[in-house]
Amino acid sequence: MKAIIYFLLITISINIQAQEHVVDQKNKTFLPSTMKLEVGDTIRFKNSDPFAHNAYADDKANEFDVGMQFPNKDKVIKMKKAGKFNVECAIHPNMLIEVEVVE
Amino acid sequence: MYQKTKIILAILLSFSFTQAKDMQEWLRPSEIPQPKNNKLTPQRIELGKLLYFDVRLSSSEKISCATCHHPKHGWSDEIATPKAIGHEGAVGSRNSPVILNTAYQNRQFWDGRAKTLEEQTLKPIEEGVEMNMPLSILIPKLNAIDGYVKLFDIAYPKEGLNKTTLAKALASFGRTVVSTIAPFDNYIMGDKNAISKKAKRGFKLFKTKAHCIDCHEKFNFSDGSFHNIGLNDGELHGKELGRYVVKPRASWYGVMKTPTLRDVTKSAPYFHDGSVQTLVEASSICANGGRYKYNVKNKSTYIKDRGLSRQEIDDLVTFLHTLTGPDMKLKIPTKFPQ
Repeated sequence: MKAIIYFLLITISINIQAQEHVVDQKNKTFLPSTMKLEVGDTIRFKNSDPFAHNAYADDKANEFDVGMQFPNKDKVIKMKKAGKFNVECAIHPNMLIEVEVVE
Repeated sequence: MYQKTKIILAILLSFSFTQAKDMQEWLRPSEIPQPKNNKLTPQRIELGKLLYFDVRLSSSEKISCATCHHPKHGWSDEIATPKAIGHEGAVGSRNSPVILNTAYQNRQFWDGRAKTLEEQTLKPIEEGVEMNMPLSILIPKLNAIDGYVKLFDIAYPKEGLNKTTLAKALASFGRTVVSTIAPFDNYIMGDKNAISKKAKRGFKLFKTKAHCIDCHEKFNFSDGSFHNIGLNDGELHGKELGRYVVKPRASWYGVMKTPTLRDVTKSAPYFHDGSVQTLVEASSICANGGRYKYNVKNKSTYIKDRGLSRQEIDDLVTFLHTLTGPDMKLKIPTKFPQ
């Protein structure tokens, strides 16, 4: 029983600490273009453009790909490990975010 | 009264400033982008030009870079053909892309598999169906030509003649292949009579109803992005998978890079598969929902039926003609280093 309580407390405390950061995709630009996050934080990708976007990272520690992201649809990605990497849009390679994830 | 005049003036100034800013983005940037480790110099450009036109860079000694990207044909195939023809008549899988304004692109090839011109420029030399020349043979071959050794030493002192400097020299020349001043540029710079009324209607359609601007934007008339415009239907079994071959990312299925529209009248046939001969047909496909309107896997959300009439397509094409400028001043070499 104690173990379950401890587990729940730890989980809750991690969730309290983790933050959600919002990135908007507007006029073929990621806003913001640089981010500093902590492990466990999430990025919510929004799409304010009237056409599809994408966000992906080829970083080994935090590899992800949100797939085709249509207008006004959100995608949420959790940062798993510390590291520095770029997030790009697979459709518009001029779009870039420099991300740093710290412990 | 004075206050009212001030407000009207402020509105007018703000309008003209916004308009000027909007117009500015259609003009060529004043400087050619270049990497720190390969700044443009006359010696590097001249050396790159010699290499570009030198057939000794191919194993058959019949093909140069210019064979598929020739200045006399809008920097596309010297002999117009839907698919590039390379070593011993081998037919490639794609239409030769024009190399005009590649300095302003941050991905090279139809599928964007190279990030820089330095990275791009050696691949067709080694490709079996193109120039079919392994670098392991080409570099010693060039090192045996005294004239080239000297020119590399002048252009890249103490760097030697190797695959890195070969790529740098070719990329240097490639960066100087930029579009000239077209009637459209004169129009943007203030000569209201530089293009016809019909072309002006076409430009308006380009930016509004036809939505061409969604992909063909700014000075180079390309967003540098990748789209599947619905040239083929459904799954692309046995057909071009586009950027998907670089990495099987779902959003890269069947997508190709948006080509520039600068000098577009010189480089038919069009599209990555060279399947279209005229700008009327190309414009109709793009602005009226793609060749295949339905069941196209990963079709771009930009490609929709915009309901353009034949007259409107005609106006659009008239506008596209205003993007063609005179040929770039270039002396094609006839003598090569020995």
